[in-house]
Amino acid sequence: MSAEELQIVAFSVAMALLGTLLILPPGLALAWLLARKNWWGKSLVETLVAMPLVVPPVVTGLVLLRLLGRRGPLGSWLDQTFQMDIVFTWKAVILALSVMSLPFLVRNARAAIEEVSPELEQMARTLGAPEWRVFFFITLPLARRGIIAGMLLAFARALGEFGATIMVAGNIPGKTTTLSVAIYQNVQLGQDATVWKLAGISAAIAFIVLWLSELLQKKKP
Amino acid sequence: MKSRPRVLLPVLGLLLAGLAAASEITVFAAASLTNALKEIGTRYEKTTGEKVIFNFAASNTLAQQIQAGAPADLFFSADEAKMDDLDQANLIVRDTRRDLLGNSLVIITPTAGVKITQAGDLTQIAIKHLSLGDPKAVPAGVYAKAWLESAGLWEALQTRIVPAENVRAAMAVVESGNAEAGIVYKTDAAISKKVVIALEIPAAEGPKIIYPAAVLSDSRNKEAARKFLLHLGGKQAAEIFAKFGFTRID
Repeated sequence: MSAEELQIVAFSVAMALLGTLLILPPGLALAWLLARKNWWGKSLVETLVAMPLVVPPVVTGLVLLRLLGRRGPLGSWLDQTFQMDIVFTWKAVILALSVMSLPFLVRNARAAIEEVSPELEQMARTLGAPEWRVFFFITLPLARRGIIAGMLLAFARALGEFGATIMVAGNIPGKTTTLSVAIYQNVQLGQDATVWKLAGISAAIAFIVLWLSELLQKKKP
Repeated sequence: MKSRPRVLLPVLGLLLAGLAAASEITVFAAASLTNALKEIGTRYEKTTGEKVIFNFAASNTLAQQIQAGAPADLFFSADEAKMDDLDQANLIVRDTRRDLLGNSLVIITPTAGVKITQAGDLTQIAIKHLSLGDPKAVPAGVYAKAWLESAGLWEALQTRIVPAENVRAAMAVVESGNAEAGIVYKTDAAISKKVVIALEIPAAEGPKIIYPAAVLSDSRNKEAARKFLLHLGGKQAAEIFAKFGFTRID
């Protein structure tokens, strides 16, 4: 593998990992709120989070681009206050990956949390445990398989992301080029050797991740 | 599970620190300039120690990215129209704009492809697909369409056109044999071993092809961008551009 190809693979894996870690705290909080609480606007939030699953990724990318571009409402504020660029930088890559993979984490984590018996949580409460302790010492450990499976799926989705990434982060060699974008570009340019190498690597990573998540979901604790 | 992020974070931090190093300029340049600019950039980095990063794509794509707020310092377009768009949006530093290069169009076929000896041969039945940069937006396609129209061939060929995302993608379609012919720049055809130039379109017959470059007004590193632009207009760069077949505009 050339240095360039290696950089693309390392960059994509790093971005997907960071994206998955970034959505972990809000994703778990959201999953817990959806699984355990009833609140006004719940179904609305639920639908919004699931939107990236069904909306064409380029549309998600377009929304992010218009929002965060230097002349967008959020982007112009970031530009003027912090001189911070988002679009067409690695930050945009992470952002696109996070938004696209959030539903995978939230849906899996939610199902996993719902499976945890509320009686066990109640027992802990009656023994005097505050709500955060119940969550971290009862709910989370019991739901861990589903949550890790959700993280793996989110990671795999992030690694395969294309549409939103190319819209909001473009294809800047060494800066924003991810595996999928590099594959697309090399197909366009007819660089078959590179295409197959990168395609093989992405398929291998996806296989391993999916396999792990299947194993986790099958084995009940 | 909770200890894993702690191990990973420093590693990721290092990776990102490498990516975020800021003393460099980003040049958004037309796809047709890929090989020449890469060579010029490498030499420039060696002699000046300044880092130059390129983003090669169709000029219309790049212009759109710049309008959307992409962090670029210099724009090197394959046509004047895209530069004019940015000028109208006040996105270029006007006094830095200069026309640097010229180019011309050629008709290409795969190495063992159909024979084309004159423009009219493009209409023969054997040519089912004619690969161009997207004639609605990509400069190479816009130029090709202008020439086909002036040659009175556009009407006849319109339905056979396969539009590509940029000129290099248009060439790749011919390289793979998926199109029987294509129209690209002479400089592109010169670097491919899988296509042959069937017909050169004389500069007098074709549209005037001009590559302008300018520093962008949103650039955070205008001085370095200016310096590189100056270098692009200089003697050393001229030799490399000439080697790849670009013509000089004075």
